[in-house]
Amino acid sequence: MVAKAAVIEDSVAASEVSLYRSLLRIREEHSLDNLGISFYDAETTVQWSYNADHYFHAASTMKLAVLLGVFRQVDRGELALDAPVHVRNRFTSIVNQEPFMLDLGRDADPDVYGHLGKTMTVRELAYWMITKSSNLGTNLLVDVVGIATIQQALDELEIDGMRVLRGVEDQRAFEAGLNNEVTAHGLLKLLRLIAEGKAYSQKACDEMLEILLDQQYRSGIPAGLPKAARVAHKTGNISTVHHDAGIVYLEKRKPYVLVILTQFPAEQGRGSAVADVSRDIFNTLAGNVYES
Amino acid sequence: MSHDETEHGLKVVDAFDLDDEVRTLLKPGELLRDAQGRRHRLPRYFYEIPSHEVALATRLTAHFGLNEFILTDFREASGLQQYPRYVPCAVRILAFYLEELRERAGSSVHIAVNGAYRSPSHKLSENASPHMWGTAADVYRIGSTILKTKEAIEKYNELAEDVSDEIHVLPYGHVTGRDADDHVHIDLGYITLVPREISEDRMEQPQESRPRFAFEERRRKDRRAAVAADSES
Repeated sequence: MVAKAAVIEDSVAASEVSLYRSLLRIREEHSLDNLGISFYDAETTVQWSYNADHYFHAASTMKLAVLLGVFRQVDRGELALDAPVHVRNRFTSIVNQEPFMLDLGRDADPDVYGHLGKTMTVRELAYWMITKSSNLGTNLLVDVVGIATIQQALDELEIDGMRVLRGVEDQRAFEAGLNNEVTAHGLLKLLRLIAEGKAYSQKACDEMLEILLDQQYRSGIPAGLPKAARVAHKTGNISTVHHDAGIVYLEKRKPYVLVILTQFPAEQGRGSAVADVSRDIFNTLAGNVYES
Repeated sequence: MSHDETEHGLKVVDAFDLDDEVRTLLKPGELLRDAQGRRHRLPRYFYEIPSHEVALATRLTAHFGLNEFILTDFREASGLQQYPRYVPCAVRILAFYLEELRERAGSSVHIAVNGAYRSPSHKLSENASPHMWGTAADVYRIGSTILKTKEAIEKYNELAEDVSDEIHVLPYGHVTGRDADDHVHIDLGYITLVPREISEDRMEQPQESRPRFAFEERRRKDRRAAVAADSES
């Protein structure tokens, strides 16, 4: 086992330069304005990063922080996963307390919208917030636990590199430049804590992983992996960014945690940069093992 | 039907007789200020709903079930989310007016979660509001119309006001508590109801000699047994 790990570590060291070159090539090919990457491989204990302290618009990766805040409250006994929550499409801006509603057309989650006026449990909302990136589910959970609690969860677990100020589609806040921001290092720390059972409790981490493994958007990290790979992850997309942050489980080896953040011109649209980076990193870390 | 049961088969309880925990949450008879500073006394007579099945099965009018008036989420005090649950007796007056509204609208009238009875311990209960009296309803949908536009809300506000002069609605607008932008708010004011099954002279009797309902006796017996067990151990 030690010998195998050493071989992989040597292999990573040897291919670090080519990995770096490959990433620069992907960045150029996809005309990315910015790229941030961080990974930690539990098998080899290798951690590697590129531009990992640069802050990006978080897009929906901020939902990982909301998930963490929810399970903080659950673990403390202050919230039950089966507690009912009124599904209501009305929120208030953090800027001027002005109410706003989410645009149903932009949120592809009939699972939550179908319950307008009724209730869903905290567990259901958390599930749809992650697996289908439900904005409505997210804002409802932000209201349930509060932004302060979410930031407190990040602070308590010493997760630097994530700034969560608000829920989603708060246009007034967006115009005022108040956005949620993440770094690759910040997301990596959060996911490592979950992967290692250190985010509040093993039970909380198991529940969070179960949700993350059911992710339905698979055009990011999973698209660069063998089909047998299981990925507990969360994507993030707006017109100028495409991110993915996840824990990659492969057979016969420990998982690796990978965060890929990309930013591009709005007119360009997102391509396959995240999947390409994911493929390169898989080949670097585990590709040889799989081939052999 | 026993003397404390209504025609709905529900027990009427005097909240002063309830266990300390529930009574503390319901705050019967307490004075609360509304947003304008006016003081109102909270109701003390409640229907006791023993189970979810009973809530579902109990019709207050032809088209409104009791369960529609007690739909709350995690914001309601946890001690009031478990059965038996309690709802002020005036809720049946609200149901009567909603039935009238339904008739005039020609469509089903849907009350939102947290949109009917909210206890004074509910997280949305900042100032006194008729919701705490069981005499207000936030209607989020009529038929297939989700009430989120100015046109829809004003249309049904007008219809509701036509039902009776007793009905108060909130205008379309965005200030919580003062107006509404995703529902039609209907209220009848701070009505308290003393059911005919209740004899108010009971309150003149000393607390200990007041007749009790069976469930109260059971609880008292349980408490006495627990105290006795503690003193023996």
